[in-house]
Amino acid sequence: MIKKFIHQFASPKTYLFQVTRAYPYIFVISILIYIISIFWGLFLTPEDFVQGNSYRIIYLHVPASFISQALYGGMAIASAIFLIWKVKLSAYLVKSIAPIGAMTTFIALISGSIWGIPTWGTWWAWDARIVSTLILFIMYLGLISLHDSFANYEKADKFLAVLVLVGSVNIPIIKMSVEWWSTLHQSASITISDKPTIDPSMLYPLFGSMIGFTGIVVCLVILSSKLHIFVREKNKSWIKDYV
Amino acid sequence: MKIFYFEFLKLRKKSRGWIGPILVFVLIMTAFPLTVEFLNEDLDQAFFSVLWIALMLVMMLATEDIFLEDYNDGSLEQLALKNQSLALILGTKIFIYWMLIGVPISFIGSFYGFGITRSFDLGLNILPILLVTSYIFLNVFSFGNALSLTKGSVLGTLITMPLVLPLLVVLGKVVISINIGLNYFGFLALLLGILSIIIVVIPLIISFIIRAHLE
Repeated sequence: MIKKFIHQFASPKTYLFQVTRAYPYIFVISILIYIISIFWGLFLTPEDFVQGNSYRIIYLHVPASFISQALYGGMAIASAIFLIWKVKLSAYLVKSIAPIGAMTTFIALISGSIWGIPTWGTWWAWDARIVSTLILFIMYLGLISLHDSFANYEKADKFLAVLVLVGSVNIPIIKMSVEWWSTLHQSASITISDKPTIDPSMLYPLFGSMIGFTGIVVCLVILSSKLHIFVREKNKSWIKDYV
Repeated sequence: MKIFYFEFLKLRKKSRGWIGPILVFVLIMTAFPLTVEFLNEDLDQAFFSVLWIALMLVMMLATEDIFLEDYNDGSLEQLALKNQSLALILGTKIFIYWMLIGVPISFIGSFYGFGITRSFDLGLNILPILLVTSYIFLNVFSFGNALSLTKGSVLGTLITMPLVLPLLVVLGKVVISINIGLNYFGFLALLLGILSIIIVVIPLIISFIIRAHLE
């Protein structure tokens, strides 16, 4: 039943047509939400009592950090689907997400460094959260290198999926690093179980920026996956009709 | 048992494969005091960092061609066609590597711990940690080398190094616990827990990867 559903709705052809239709809407809405949230966060929210204006980088840093881990989680799910049900589209998505994941992790690291100068007095610390995020970045680069080193795409897809699944053990470590170790990095201000420790005037634009940023990243994943589908399915008749 | 004996003989005959990493480890541990001022407290502080990194690098070196020769001469293909579980055979192979490389290195590391810190207890306490950690490292790097079987060990290292880095954090905590006299058995239990999962899962994953390479 699940297999039939996946095969019917997750063929590269169906995916390509669906995302092409949805892309402009997602793009425009995400950009609008992100711009409004950034404007709200930068100009309409008050200064932080301790950090002054420097905290406003959260509207880039927090969404980038969140999405860098979420993308890896997405890759792990897609890898499992590929290995269990042999869904080609999942393998394409894993390959397409990796560079976007590396980019968002890089943004998280750089924005964190910039924020570190006024708040911690240093742009880098060998802190559990920062180091684990750097490890995530290196992992993304490793995944890209692994796939690119094989000329045989089928083999590359399998190895990539296995490595993504094995590497997913690092995600809980990154997430929980601020709880498990005494770190310079603050613990999460927004959790599912507890009330946010951030003031609502700063919280709402933060939520907006996270939604907007996620939408923009989804658009990038769509573009990257479309490109990958063109490369992999170039000999299929339907792709010639599509182009 | 036959496989165990066969793999043991094969590695023992290939002396470069097991003596080389042991000698590299000895060289690193002997050379590092030359880079530190000859005050005992400086050596004590640097010792454990060098020990863990040397252990990691040497295990990486030891597994560099763990499957490559067998792949090139067709033995892996023969093993894959056997009725016996390929995962079991690969797990045995890793175990042999640990016996011939990991175990001696752990004893040598423990001896250096005693020699450099001049604490017999400390040298003795790090022995089980070294034994468990070397086995974990061997499994993880074997996984990396299976993935990059025909693509060189640099790629294997690049993709598996991030996986073992969190382990270094645990090892750092172990040293702090030992140094301040706290009970470190919790960390040892954690490492044993990780090892017990790894020795079951990694050979299965490697056998899947090897079969994919042979397709």
